[in-house]
Amino acid sequence: MAIIHPKLSGAANLVANYPMPYGAKWANDIRTNAITAFNAQGAPHKRDEYWRYTDPSELTVVPTKPAALFSNDESPMFDLVDCIRIVFVDGIIDTDRSDDLSLIGASIEMLSDVTSTDIHWAKDLYGKLESNGQNPVHRPLAALNTAVAGHGLVIHVTSKCDKPLAINYVHNSETSDVMLHHIIKIDEGAEFTLLESGAGAARFNSVIEVDVSDDAEFHHVRTQGRDHERKTVTHLFGRLGHRSIFRSFTMTMNGILTRNDAVLEFTGDDAKATVAGACAGDGNNFHHDDTVFVTHDSINCESRQVFKKVLRNGATGVFQGKILVKADAQKTDGYQISQGLLLDENSNFLAKPELEIYADDVACSHGSTVGAIDEDALFYLASRGVPRKQAQDMLVLAFLAEAIEEIDNNDLANDIRDRLTAWMEHG
Amino acid sequence: MTDMIAKDGVEAETVAAVKSLSGKYKYGFSTDVEIEYAPLGLNEDIVRLISDKNEEPEWMLEWRLQAFERWKQMKEPEWAMVDYPKINFQDIYYYARPKSMSEEKPKSLDDVDPKLLETYAKLGIPLKEQALLAGVEAPEGERKVAVDAVFDSVSVGTTFQKELKQAGVIFMSISEALKEHPELVKKYIGSVVPQSDNFYATLNSAVFSDGSFVYIPEGVKCPMELSTYFRINAENTGQFERTLIIAEKGSSVSYLEGCTAPQRDVAQLHAAVVELVILEDAEIKYSTVQNWYPGDENGKGGIYNFVTKRADCRGDRAKVMWTQVETGSAVTWKYPSCILRGDYSQGEFYSIAIANNMQQADTGTKMIHLGKNTKSRIVSKGISAGKAQNTYRGLVSMHPKASNARNYTQCDSLLIGDKCGAHTVPYIEVKNNTARVEHEATTSKVDDDQLFYCRQRGMDEEEAVALVVNGFCKEVLQALPMEFAMEAQALVAISLEGSVG
Amino acid sequence: MLSIKNLQVELEEEDKQILKGIDLEIGEGEVHAIMGPNGSGKSTTSYVLAGKAGYKVTAGSAELYGNDLLDMNPEERAAAGLFLAFQYPVEIPGVGNMTFLRTAVNAQRKARGEDELSAGQFLKIVREKAKSLKIDADMLKRPVNVGFSGGEKKRNEILQMAMLEPKMCVLDETDSGLDVDAMKLVAEGVNALRDGKRSFLVITHYQRLLDHIKPDVVHIMANGRIIKSGGPELALEVEENGYADILAEVA
Repeated sequence: MAIIHPKLSGAANLVANYPMPYGAKWANDIRTNAITAFNAQGAPHKRDEYWRYTDPSELTVVPTKPAALFSNDESPMFDLVDCIRIVFVDGIIDTDRSDDLSLIGASIEMLSDVTSTDIHWAKDLYGKLESNGQNPVHRPLAALNTAVAGHGLVIHVTSKCDKPLAINYVHNSETSDVMLHHIIKIDEGAEFTLLESGAGAARFNSVIEVDVSDDAEFHHVRTQGRDHERKTVTHLFGRLGHRSIFRSFTMTMNGILTRNDAVLEFTGDDAKATVAGACAGDGNNFHHDDTVFVTHDSINCESRQVFKKVLRNGATGVFQGKILVKADAQKTDGYQISQGLLLDENSNFLAKPELEIYADDVACSHGSTVGAIDEDALFYLASRGVPRKQAQDMLVLAFLAEAIEEIDNNDLANDIRDRLTAWMEHG
Repeated sequence: MTDMIAKDGVEAETVAAVKSLSGKYKYGFSTDVEIEYAPLGLNEDIVRLISDKNEEPEWMLEWRLQAFERWKQMKEPEWAMVDYPKINFQDIYYYARPKSMSEEKPKSLDDVDPKLLETYAKLGIPLKEQALLAGVEAPEGERKVAVDAVFDSVSVGTTFQKELKQAGVIFMSISEALKEHPELVKKYIGSVVPQSDNFYATLNSAVFSDGSFVYIPEGVKCPMELSTYFRINAENTGQFERTLIIAEKGSSVSYLEGCTAPQRDVAQLHAAVVELVILEDAEIKYSTVQNWYPGDENGKGGIYNFVTKRADCRGDRAKVMWTQVETGSAVTWKYPSCILRGDYSQGEFYSIAIANNMQQADTGTKMIHLGKNTKSRIVSKGISAGKAQNTYRGLVSMHPKASNARNYTQCDSLLIGDKCGAHTVPYIEVKNNTARVEHEATTSKVDDDQLFYCRQRGMDEEEAVALVVNGFCKEVLQALPMEFAMEAQALVAISLEGSVG
Repeated sequence: MLSIKNLQVELEEEDKQILKGIDLEIGEGEVHAIMGPNGSGKSTTSYVLAGKAGYKVTAGSAELYGNDLLDMNPEERAAAGLFLAFQYPVEIPGVGNMTFLRTAVNAQRKARGEDELSAGQFLKIVREKAKSLKIDADMLKRPVNVGFSGGEKKRNEILQMAMLEPKMCVLDETDSGLDVDAMKLVAEGVNALRDGKRSFLVITHYQRLLDHIKPDVVHIMANGRIIKSGGPELALEVEENGYADILAEVA
């Protein structure tokens, strides 16, 4: 009997699990190419270099394990922000709970509609940044998403939008297994803000492709739902044109497994990008992994990666970050910081911050620290009458602050802080 | 004050050295002696032949054969950022020794073939029992360095054996140790770097021909610096040496190694294994100045340097310090590591890696913290010039029981010119919350303002670069024993010749 | 000794003319001062003389004792006797101050065909000169300019000047960032080097440094040109009335 490699047999199971949606020829072509790429790569495996710290089996097992729903009395995310709201329940848009898809400065369409249209601009972007982002590191779950995701949003931003678009992903079925794929094209000089919240499904796989043209701006704030048993893998692919700005921040709490991939490529000069994350993990079921890959292929660009993780009760936090500076990307300013705060002896922080540099006129640096909470500071606060728990929360927030400060909207940043405080109270 | 001048003066010497040494690679000559080779290629017979030539005990041969069986199943590692043509392991001589060293081995250094002695004299390595390395003034006059000279596959001789014996120190080639102290070798060989550790270590386990053996008994501070000088001379020959150092409770030793090879068009393989065993309160300081032939500016020839070095701090408060200056070799693949098993044990790694022209270096360290209150420190300075690629790869691992363990890592890269690459690949794994890890890394180019400042004060561009680069490396250079610090500084400057302009 | 004729300079990276034709003759033993508002081209003049990259000389010449400065490398200019005391001395981590000085001194001696100083000779001279500038042993040991206060950096520049014994010293805003005491100390250091042969070009924004280093000639520079030259009284005039009057007068 022939022995089938576990990676390939895992791949076959996954492909069989998700039917490829029907679409126009261009969409079928793109999806077929993606499935071919995925089949060649195989399912991710913990022996892969970029999965060395995270076992992906929860993301590849078929069918996915059920995840209990999480509910609390807190108001929904971003409810104080004036924005257009769209709600997906287990991967399907809920039109009753969503606003009209009209936003000044942008057109918003449904992916399912777009892919059945014979002629559409989306054919030049759908799957494009994802497939570019497959080198040099394979991201099979993103390829699979491109192949089989039938739903998502297709957004064309033509000028400065007057308000953000907020997507709420509701987890409603204990066994839902969802793939969503959004593509966002931001024209020259236009600006767009995307807010995301919610667990989405028992298992949630998302791909967002963002093409930021010259002088355009993309702002992104995301919170990943507090469902304790959810499994999430996200992929954020970005391309930056001349003088463009790309800012993304993610807050993660709870969940069995969260893997956030961010893959950015600078193709225009004088652009700036920030990818930041704050993560608070509790319990030995918690596993959180940020994997960031920034490629500088143009002159005088600046990139920042700022990741902070607080871990307790056996939680595991992972950071893999890379700055690749190609030979002609002179005057690159690359910065990367990853820090773990371990609140007890069972928690783990694993990091692999990499620099790969082929241009000489650059200033790149990275720092990584891991340690316990500062006992002297705790004592100082205690001696001034602050109870230990509260003192610890203060210091935890102070630790996460550097990442939260990467959000340039104060209201959003404050909202994130409040929710972190609530998490520390209730988990 | 005088001490300060001596240290500071070194850089001036460096600059002078740059000027005086116009040739690119100073050690590129070859020695014309008659060489006896084992048949080309590798098979079980070769393994038996090597063991036989060394007149080894049966268990050693069995061990070698076991390694060889394993090696045949293994694949070459491909994860390092180095790129070189596939090595044909059947196209290498695994054993070569000067004829004069065969059959009747010289009884003392006086009987050694003058051509071999001359070689070492030319390299600045004194095999006469004079106090010092040639051309270097010791600060306090009386320091002695004992040398074990390894030429291709065999040890030519070891100096100061008598004096060391008086102190109870065993310092001899490992082939001799296998005859005179087989129980010690048997107890420790493969106990730090297991036979099947990795492709090259396993190959070495099967075919190592010689190397140095050091045993420092309990409570003994080794009365002099020990050093081994490796020379590859024969063409098409691999050098596979194995070094084993054991520091018993409360003992200490400082050990230096140097390496050079002739300038040849065909790349040559060097796959060594170094094992350090450090017991309670003992300390080993291990310094390397690696200056194997790096190949020419088009990447032709040079040594492939695939080395496994590991220290096992078995006892509490054991201490190890690795210092390396890696300027040579076409390809370097080397990660001197520390297993910090004993509580309060300490590991340090200081490294300068210079890659110029077409050289490729992938080097770093592993600090494995197992014991409580263990401490480690990593200072790595990488310099890339020409079309070279230079990678720092390191692991800091804090195991769950490593309470209050500490690591500090500083990892800086300097780029000279826009055709080279500098890469940093650290792995940080922390599984104990009382452990603390701090890692910092920077990459930048040689600062134009600093160069201009130096040139305004009258230095030419090469002098200015040498000065600034030596400043960049200072922390590591200071970790070297005095004798090596000067040599290393000069080497830093020479290695960068032709990198500016 | 220093002869600058119609010196015109542009920035290499952008099309911007900074110096629009400078003429300056400084004789042996003379002290000249250049004053002028910010952005007038004072510092550029010093950088161009020393050979800093990034500037393009489009016309004119600069000679030191008949040698064409503009044709030389920075180190050749230094060996020819030109010394620039930087406005912002550069920090060089890891390189000891002593090492730096000894390397520089011997490089220049070598370039001039003189014997290098031995460690002993060198140390003796440095100690002597450092003492008069109140530079202690600690400062000599530390890496070049790293962690030095503003005053320490400037004193260190003067120490280098004393050690290198140049013919022509250009002092670029040496008074900036100094309090009165520090400035006096620096000025004394400079005055001690005035021997009737060595010449100085003192670039400053304020007149106060010139109270301590008395100039023979004062030039006012504005918009890339020397617009007025005169005796020390010109500096006082600036002190009293600012640059506006002179600018208006010339315009």
